Amino acid sequence: MLSRSALGLYWIGRYLERAQHACRLIADQFETMKDRPVDEIDKGWRRLYGGLGRVPVGGALSSNLDDERFMLVDAFTLADDLTFEAGNPDSIRSSLANARENARQVRHVVDEDLWSCLNLAFFDLRDLGIADIWQDRPSEFYRRTEDAVRTFFGIAESNMYRDDGWHFLQLGRFVERAQLLSALLEAQLAVYPAGGPDADPVTDGETSDAETSDAEGSDGVADAAADAGPVGDPAADQAADQAADPDWLSLLRICAARDAYGRLHSLHYDPAAVVDFLVADPLPPRSSRYARALVCAARAAVSPAGPPPAAAGRRAGRLAASIDYDWPNRDPADEDAIRATLRGIGDSCRRLHDDIDAAYFSYGLGDGEDGR
Amino acid sequence: MPVEQAESGTAAPEEGHLFAGYETDPAFYDEMFDADGAPRAHCRELWAALGETPRDELATMQERAERSFLHEGITFSVYGEEGAQERIIPIDIVPRLVDAEQWDLLERGLRQRLEALNLFLADIYGPGRVIADGVIPADMVRGCPQFRNAMRGVDVPHGAYVSVCGTDLVRTHDGFLVLEDNLRVPSGVSYMLANRAAVKTSLRDAFRRHRVRGIENYGRLLRRTLAELSPRGDSDPTIVLLTPGVYNSAFYEHMFLARETGVELVQGGDLVARNGFVYMRTTGGLRRVDVIYRRIDDDFLDPLTFRPDSMLGTPGLFNAYRLGNVAIANAPGTGVADDKSVYAYVPDIIRYFLNEEPLLANVETHLCRDPDGLEYTLDNLDKLVVKEVGGSGGYGMLVGPHATAEERAAFAEKVRATPENYISQPTLDLSRAPCLTEDGAAPRHVDLRPFVLRGQETRLVPGAFCRVALTPGSLVVNSSQGGGGKDLWVLSG
Repeated sequence: MLSRSALGLYWIGRYLERAQHACRLIADQFETMKDRPVDEIDKGWRRLYGGLGRVPVGGALSSNLDDERFMLVDAFTLADDLTFEAGNPDSIRSSLANARENARQVRHVVDEDLWSCLNLAFFDLRDLGIADIWQDRPSEFYRRTEDAVRTFFGIAESNMYRDDGWHFLQLGRFVERAQLLSALLEAQLAVYPAGGPDADPVTDGETSDAETSDAEGSDGVADAAADAGPVGDPAADQAADQAADPDWLSLLRICAARDAYGRLHSLHYDPAAVVDFLVADPLPPRSSRYARALVCAARAAVSPAGPPPAAAGRRAGRLAASIDYDWPNRDPADEDAIRATLRGIGDSCRRLHDDIDAAYFSYGLGDGEDGR
Repeated sequence: MPVEQAESGTAAPEEGHLFAGYETDPAFYDEMFDADGAPRAHCRELWAALGETPRDELATMQERAERSFLHEGITFSVYGEEGAQERIIPIDIVPRLVDAEQWDLLERGLRQRLEALNLFLADIYGPGRVIADGVIPADMVRGCPQFRNAMRGVDVPHGAYVSVCGTDLVRTHDGFLVLEDNLRVPSGVSYMLANRAAVKTSLRDAFRRHRVRGIENYGRLLRRTLAELSPRGDSDPTIVLLTPGVYNSAFYEHMFLARETGVELVQGGDLVARNGFVYMRTTGGLRRVDVIYRRIDDDFLDPLTFRPDSMLGTPGLFNAYRLGNVAIANAPGTGVADDKSVYAYVPDIIRYFLNEEPLLANVETHLCRDPDGLEYTLDNLDKLVVKEVGGSGGYGMLVGPHATAEERAAFAEKVRATPENYISQPTLDLSRAPCLTEDGAAPRHVDLRPFVLRGQETRLVPGAFCRVALTPGSLVVNSSQGGGGKDLWVLSG
C-alpha cells in the first residue's frame, strides 16, 4: 500500500481513539457534576487536563471552591474548551476534524460507508458550541458522538480488507489507546494519590487500606471496609461500595471496566488494584496490556517485504516489556516509581510512533540519498 | 398533462403547472421546446413526467440530491479570504436530453477532432510538416508558452499525446459549436457520473422510459486506456493518478477517479525517480510505476525539466519518461493544441491531417495578433467576448455586452498592450434548457463537456458534464463562477 495512504489510516485510528477517549471522560465529568461536591468536580477537571497535558483556559484551575456558581461558569468554559475549541488540538471537534481531513486525503482507500459515517459525525458537531448542548442533556451529545466513533470502527471491522490499511488503522488506534491510558492513570494518581500520606506498603498482592481520598470525610467507613477484606463478605462489600471513592469508580467507568472489575475483585475499589487491573489485565479492551497486544499483532502483520522495519519491531517489543515486565516488577509501595513506570509506557508509545514513521513512511532509500 | 395537447402545438399548461410560466425566446435554441413552445418529440416523456410530479416533491428531490453531494463530499474547493472552502457544484435535477441522431454527429465529430489534434501534436514535436507547409505560423506554435521543447523527439505510445480530452460545446440555432478543447488536465467527469447517479434516483420512471444510454463504465474505459500506454505492455501495469493534493479544487474528482479505476492516488512526494525508472513509496518499499495519469500541470511534473524553482514534482521523472520507462497521460506539452489562437486553426488542422471536412464547427474567432483582428475586436468590444489565449476557467475574459464602458476601456488597454495574448469571439446565443426554480421551470443557458479517451483506440461514453448558468440571463457556466450541473441523457435510437 502507498505509504501515505497507510499513514492516513494510521492517523484516522489515532484521532478517532482520541475523540472517543475525550467523549468518555467528559461524559463522566458531567455525571460527576450532577450531584457531587465541588472539590470532586474540581478534581475531575484536573484529571482531565492532566491526562491531556493541557493547561486549562485562563492558565490554571484556580477556582474558588467555596463558590458553586463560579464552578459552574468554569465548567461551561472548560467543557467548551475540551469539546468544541478549534484552537485546542485535542478537543473532540479537532480530533474529528483531523480524522475527517485524513480520511478525505486517502478517501480512495476508505470504504464509502466509513467515509460517510465520519463525514456525518463531523457535520453533526461542526456548527455546535457548548451553549447548544449545555441545557439539553449534554451527556446525550457525548454518547451520540462516541456512538459515531463506535459505528466507524464497527464498519471497519466488518468491511475492511485486511491489508496494510487495516493494520495501520489498528496500529494507530491502539498506540493512541495505550498512550492515553498511561497519561490518564498518571493524572489520576497525581490528583488522587492512591496511598495518601500514611499509606501502608502493599505486602501480599492484596491492597493497601487507606487508599481512598477523604473527599467525603468518611475515613472510618473506608478503613472498616478495607479491614473486612475484599472477598466473600457481602456486607463488607456493600459498606466498601458505599465508601468507595467515586473517583476510582469513575475511572473504571471511563475505561468501560467497572462490571468486569466488580466480578473479579468484588466491589472493593482499591486504587492500587484498579490501576493494576487497567494496566496489566489482558482482557479489558481498554487496558494497556490489551492495547499493547493489538499493537504488537498489527505491527507483526504489516508488509513483511520492504525495508527492514527492525526499529519499529524493537520498539513494539519495548512497549510490551514496559507493560509485561516493568509493571509487575515495580515497587508497589513507591508511588513515584509507579508513576515513572506509567510514564515509561507512554514514552514507549511515543518512540514507537517515531519508529513506525521512520520504518514505513519517511524511510531513506538506502544509498545515502535522502528519500525526499 | 395529456400528450395529445402538446402535439397540437398549443401547449398552454394550466395554472400552477411546472411549465406554466416557462417562456421560450426566439433568440435562443431551447433544448426541450420547439419554436411553438411544444415539447420536442424526444423530450415528451420527461416533460409529461415532470408535469405530473407534485412541485414540492420535485423540490424535495432537488434538495436531497444536493444534500447527498455534501454528505458524500462531492465538493470542490474555492479559495477566498477565509481559506479554502468546500462547496458543491449545485445540481439541477431536470436532465438535458440529446437524441441518438444528434449524439451520433457529436461522437463522430469529437473522434475526428481528437484524432487530428493528436496527429498535430505528433507532428509539431516531430517533423513539423504542418508548419513547413504553411498551415499554421511557426511562431504561434513554437512561441506558445505551452510548447515544450523537451518533448521534441519523444516517442509517445500509440501517438496518444492527449489520452483524456474534455471538449466544451455549445448549441445555437446553427447547431453544435466547439467552444474550446481542454487537452491538458480536463476535469468534470466525476460530476457527470455523480449527476447521473443522483438524477437516476430521483427520476427513476422517466429514466427507464427514455431508454437512456449508460455511462457508468467510464472508469473501466479510462483504466483500459491508461493500461494501453504502459511501456511494459503487460496486462496488469501499475497505474497511479498524480494529484497536487487535497487543496486542489478538483481533488474530489482525483480521489473519485482513483477509486473508479482502481489505481493509487499519489502526490509528487510519493514518487521517486532513479536510474531512469519511477517508483512509489509503499509500506513494502519502492514499487515501480508504469503509467502516470497526471492531474497536475506540466510545470509541476519535474523541476529538473520544467520549473527549476518548483518545490513540487519529482526530479528525474521526465528523464524516465523520455527513456520510455514510464507513460504520462496526458503527455507534457499538449497545452499548445488548446491554446486559443491555435484553436482558430483546428478546422484547417483537421483538413490537413485527415483530408476531411470538420464535422463540428468552430466559433468564429478573431486573432488580435493580426492587425485586422485587433481592429475588429477593439471596434466591436461591446458585442464580443475577449479571452486570454492561455486562460481557462472563465478567468481573464471580458464579456462585452455585460461589461460597463469603463471595464471595456480598461480591457482595451490590456489588449492593445499585448494583442498576441488575446482573441475575440462573438457573444454566443447559447441554447437554454429548463431548470427548477421556486417559481416553476425557467430557462437557463447550458453547454456540455463530453470526455473522449485515446489509448490504442478512441473511446467515449455517451454522456457529458452539462454545465448550466444558474443566474437568470447569465452566459457563464464555470463552476468557479456560479455555474451548476445537469445530467445529460443520451437516448438510444
